[in-house]
Amino acid sequence: MPVLWIALIVLAAAAIAYVLARRSALASAQGDVRRMHSLPSYYGWHAFIMTALPALLLMLVWLIFQPLFIENRIAAQLPAEATATATAQQLAMRDVRSVADGLQAAISSGAITPDEMEAFTNDPSTLRARLGEAGVALGGNVTPETLEAAQNFRALASTMSLTMTVLVLGVALAGAAIALKQVRPDFWARNAVEKTVMGFLIFASAIAIFTTISIVFSMVFETMNFFSQYPWQSFFFGTTWSPVFHGNSQLGIIPLLWGTLYISFIALLVAVPIGLFAAIYLSEYASNRVRSFAKPLIEVLAGIPTIVYGLFALVTVGPLLRDYFAQPMGLGSSGTSVMTAGLVMGIMIIPFVSSLSDDIINSVPQSLRDGSLGLGATKSETIRQVVLPAALPGIVGAVLLAASRAIGETMIVVLGAGAAARLGLNPFEAMTTITVKIVSQLTGDTDFNSPETLVAFALGLTLFVITLGLNIFALYIVRKYREQYE
Amino acid sequence: MNDMRIAERDVSTSETKIAARGVQVHYGTSHALKDVDVDILNGNVTAFIGPSGCGKSTFLRCLNRMNDTIAAAKVSGSIKLDGEDIYDPKVDPVQLRAKVGMVFQKPNPFPKSIYDNVAYGPKIHGLTRSKAELDNVVETSLKKAALWNEVKDRLHAPGTGLSGGQQQRLCIARAVATSPEVLLMDEPCSALDPIATAQVEELIDELRGQFAVVIVTHSMQQAARVSQKTAFFHLGNLVEFGETGQIFTNPRDPRTESYISGRIG
Repeated sequence: MPVLWIALIVLAAAAIAYVLARRSALASAQGDVRRMHSLPSYYGWHAFIMTALPALLLMLVWLIFQPLFIENRIAAQLPAEATATATAQQLAMRDVRSVADGLQAAISSGAITPDEMEAFTNDPSTLRARLGEAGVALGGNVTPETLEAAQNFRALASTMSLTMTVLVLGVALAGAAIALKQVRPDFWARNAVEKTVMGFLIFASAIAIFTTISIVFSMVFETMNFFSQYPWQSFFFGTTWSPVFHGNSQLGIIPLLWGTLYISFIALLVAVPIGLFAAIYLSEYASNRVRSFAKPLIEVLAGIPTIVYGLFALVTVGPLLRDYFAQPMGLGSSGTSVMTAGLVMGIMIIPFVSSLSDDIINSVPQSLRDGSLGLGATKSETIRQVVLPAALPGIVGAVLLAASRAIGETMIVVLGAGAAARLGLNPFEAMTTITVKIVSQLTGDTDFNSPETLVAFALGLTLFVITLGLNIFALYIVRKYREQYE
Repeated sequence: MNDMRIAERDVSTSETKIAARGVQVHYGTSHALKDVDVDILNGNVTAFIGPSGCGKSTFLRCLNRMNDTIAAAKVSGSIKLDGEDIYDPKVDPVQLRAKVGMVFQKPNPFPKSIYDNVAYGPKIHGLTRSKAELDNVVETSLKKAALWNEVKDRLHAPGTGLSGGQQQRLCIARAVATSPEVLLMDEPCSALDPIATAQVEELIDELRGQFAVVIVTHSMQQAARVSQKTAFFHLGNLVEFGETGQIFTNPRDPRTESYISGRIG
C-alpha cells in the first residue's frame, strides 16, 4: 500500500478518535463540563495525538531503515567478487535495484506476465530486450545472479512494506483504544496535549540548531580531507594563490583574506558614517511624516538583489572610478577594483547600519533626552553626549552585523572587484575575496578529491568561523551593555 | 509625617522671580491649560497640586520651555523671568533652561559615571576653567544633594548603578551643578520610598535658600510639608493660589476644599 494512503488512513482514524473521545468525554461528564478536569476538546485532541503520532513516527523510522536493511540482506547474497570493494558493491546494488524497479514497473503495467517471469528466471539474457520493449531501459545485460538478487529484493521489499502497513495501522488502533479508555473526568487531558505541543515546539527549534551543526560538520570533514592532502601551514600562511588543476597548486589564503578584509573595510567606511548619520536624522530630527516614508525607502536598498548591485558596479561605478579617479591619478586602468566593490557594497549595507541604529537610538528612553535638555544642553549636545553613548553598544552590534554581511558577499565582488587574487594596497586594482574563490573552485568540471576543489571547503569554513566570531562578538556586546539604561 | 508645620512656616516677602499671566496651553485641539496667573517668588518653595491631568505638569514644563520638544503643544500668554518674556523669539530656550533647571519624575541619570553626570551641565555651559574647579563644583553639588558621603569613594562608578533614591538625588545634584536660578521638580518623589522621600524633602527645604523652587506633587502632605505657596489646579484651571497654610486650612474655593479633603481627585 502506498505510504500516502497509509498516512491518510491513520489521520482519518485519528479524526474519528477525536470525535469519539470528545463525545465520550461529554457523556462521562453528564453534560456538565465543569466536572471534567479538561475541556472536552482536549480529550479529543489527546485521542487524536495518541492515534496519529506513534503510528506516523513508527512509519517514518521504518521508512528510513527499511532500504538500509534490505540493502544489507541482498548484498550478503551477492557473489563475493561483486562486493569486494565498497565501490563494486555500490555498482552491483545499483544494477539490482534498477532491475527490480524495472520488473516492478513492467509487471504492474501488465507488460510482463507472471508466466513470462518464470521463463526469464531460467534464461535472463533476453530480459533486457523485453524490458526495453515495455519501456524500461537497463544499462547492461542481466546476469542470473543479478536477476535472482533483484527477485529477492522485490520479495523482501513487499513483505516488509506489508509488515509495516499492518504494524502502523495496529499501533494507530491501539493508541486510539488506549486514549478512549483514558477518557475519565479525573484524567488530565489538557496537560497531556500541551506536553505534546511543547514537544513539537522543541522539535522545530531543534531542526534549526541541528542544521547549523550538520553544516559545520560537513564542512569540517571535507576540510580535514583537504588538510590531509595540503599542508595547513601553506594554506594559512601562504601568500600566493595560484590553483593549477593538474597539481602543484599554491593555495595560500592570505591574498584572499586580505581582499575580503580590504573590501569589507571600504564598505564599512562608506556604510557606517552614512548609515549612522541617516539614523540620527531619522530618529532625532525627522518629523513622523518624513520618517514614515524615508525609513522604508532606505530599507529598499537591502531588498535589491546583490547581482543587481554587481551590475551597477560593473557598468556604472567601475568605469566611472577608472576614468575619473584611477587613470588621471595614475593609479591603474582596471575597470574592476577594490574601491568599486567596496563602494557598492557599502551602499548595500547602509540599511543594515541605519535601520538597526535607528531602532536602537529610538529605544534610548526619552527621559534621558529630557534630562539633558532640562539642564540647558542643546539638541546636538544631547545627541552627542547622552543619546549616542547610551546607544553605542547597540550601534556597535549593528556595525558588526553589517560587517559580517559584507564579508560574506559574493556577487558584488565578482562583478566589481574582479577575480584576481592579489596582495596590494592600491584600492584601484582588482582583487578578490574568499567567497569568489569558493565559487570559482567549485564551478565547472571538478574532481572532488583534488586539493584544488577541496580547498573551497577550507575557505568556507574559515569564512564561517570569521563571521560566526563577529556575530558572537556583536551579540556579546549588545547583551553586555543592554541593561545599562532600563 | 502628617504634621503641617504651619507654625514654622515663614513666607519670605522677597521679589517675584517668575510672573506668569494668562498662560494658555493647547495640545492639538485639547485645551490643556486655561488662563493661569502665578507668581513664583525667590527663596520660596511653590507647590502645584491637583488631580492627574489637571495641567500642573504642563504648566511646570512651560516655565523652562520643555513643551517646545512636544510638536503639538502651543503656549500663549506671557511668562516673565526677571521681567523678561521667556517666549520672546529673541530668547534661546537652551540658555533659559540653564537658568531654570529641572528634575524629573523618574530618576534619569545618564549612562555615565556619577562624576560625569554631575559635571555634565558645568561642562556644556563652560562654567569651570580647570579640572580642580570642576571637581569642586561636583563635590559641592553632591554635598548639597546630600549624596556626597555615599558616593565620594566611587565617583567613577556608573550613575545607573545607584539605588532609586540615590539616583534621584544624583539628578538633583546634576541640576544644582549648573547653578540655576529656578529649580523645577516634577513629582520628584513619586518613584521613591518614604525614607528617600524624606531625604529629598529635607533637601528641597535647604535648596530654597539659593533658588526659587517649584514642585509638582500628588501628595498633599508633601506640598504641606515643603512649600510656602501652593497652587491648586483642576481641569486645566488654576483654582486657587495662595500661602500653603491658608490653602490647606482655610481654602476659599469649594473645589480646593473638596480636593484636599479627598472628595474629588
